[in-house]
Amino acid sequence: MSEDIKIVMFCCNWCSYGGADTAGTARMQYPPNIRVIRVMCSGRIDPQFILKAFRDGADGVFVAGCHMGDCHYDAGNYKLDRRMRLVYKLVEDMGIGRERVHHDWISASEGEKFASSVKMMVNRIKDLGPSPLKAQLDAEG
Amino acid sequence: MADKAKVGTMWLGGCSGCHLSIADFHESLLDVLELAQFEFSPVLCDTKYDEVPELDVLIVEGGIRNEENRELAEMLREKAGLVIAYGTCAAYGGIPGLGNLHTVEELTTEGYINSCSTVNPEGIIPNEDVPTLESRVRPLGEAIQVDLLIPGCPPKSDVVAEAILTLLNGGTIELPTTNLCEVCPREKPPAGLAMDFIKRQFEVGKPEDDLCLIAQGLVCMGPATVSLCGAQCPSIAIPCRGCYGPTAKVNDAGAKMISAIASDYGINEDKTVDPEQVADQLDDIVGTFYTYTLPAALVPAKMQKGGK
Repeated sequence: MSEDIKIVMFCCNWCSYGGADTAGTARMQYPPNIRVIRVMCSGRIDPQFILKAFRDGADGVFVAGCHMGDCHYDAGNYKLDRRMRLVYKLVEDMGIGRERVHHDWISASEGEKFASSVKMMVNRIKDLGPSPLKAQLDAEG
Repeated sequence: MADKAKVGTMWLGGCSGCHLSIADFHESLLDVLELAQFEFSPVLCDTKYDEVPELDVLIVEGGIRNEENRELAEMLREKAGLVIAYGTCAAYGGIPGLGNLHTVEELTTEGYINSCSTVNPEGIIPNEDVPTLESRVRPLGEAIQVDLLIPGCPPKSDVVAEAILTLLNGGTIELPTTNLCEVCPREKPPAGLAMDFIKRQFEVGKPEDDLCLIAQGLVCMGPATVSLCGAQCPSIAIPCRGCYGPTAKVNDAGAKMISAIASDYGINEDKTVDPEQVADQLDDIVGTFYTYTLPAALVPAKMQKGGK
């Protein structure tokens, strides 16, 4: 079961998605449990996206953006940073668990960090097992 | 008499407050009664569930809390031409929806045994002749097909009267697609909306006249709430609690509001403000942002076992 976990990852166009590209062109290995969604800026990521991912069966959500000060749009990642602190509290309160959501900063040159962060997140979610949300909603019919 | 439309009202998992809004039609009641008559309404007339007439319009208040609610909703759906989910409980689950933060067991134990006004030394939880609670509160639309939502806690009488009159006259009803800020008389600061701190009303005292409440540190749900009420509360210096629910474009009012508050907070010192501060200043995330809409949210109930 724990092999089937799915993690939705949101990457910003300018840094983290570039980081994913760098990891790819350098043929770095990382687990296939991740599904990357590219957005123009991490500041565009609405908490609705994260909750929608869980609602549709994701077991974890990983949000990545530019390092502080590097945002292509100046300060989108600062807004995301504040937003994520509230999302952590929300998912903890809703019993999904703080651990299932993670955000980090990955620049376009950090292929290595992209691969290692994905590995870390996949291992963390594998330890936790599948998300309870889908199971609970399915059980209720 | 025979030409009049047959209107029914029903009261499921709600508090009957929305029915008071109907009772409060005032003079519009005369206009409504010109076109329609109330054929079935547990609040207004003596009704029998096995003698429900065919209805043209059914107005349902309250969400689905227990098995009886679901059974009655399904039975009435068969009888009615058009079903209106009336009030926030029917549309989004409403305040009873906060019960979704607890298991049915916790709720019944609290209600029948632990609550301090209850005398039940033997700790008996009634299980006969009372409908069983469902696993969580659901909006009416998850049990039966609903043709129209009129949210509000309760919906304003003139809004309901106008909607019903429009329907009876064969018109179409369109809910506003704008948020409360569009109709709010308070002004946003010319330099842009920014929040430097989050406070509760008693800490602020009387807010400044004419200035947006969010700019004064109050969590006003206006940005994520539909403009159907005409911004009654912010007009009198009370922050919006979001009782009319979100606009049709929003899936999850609470998440939308989290997004808005976190962005506005410290926006002028974006790069220096401590990101943890906003979370520190808000204790009850679910209770603040999902007061009325938890059952319709993307995560509609608390998961048990801590997410394992």
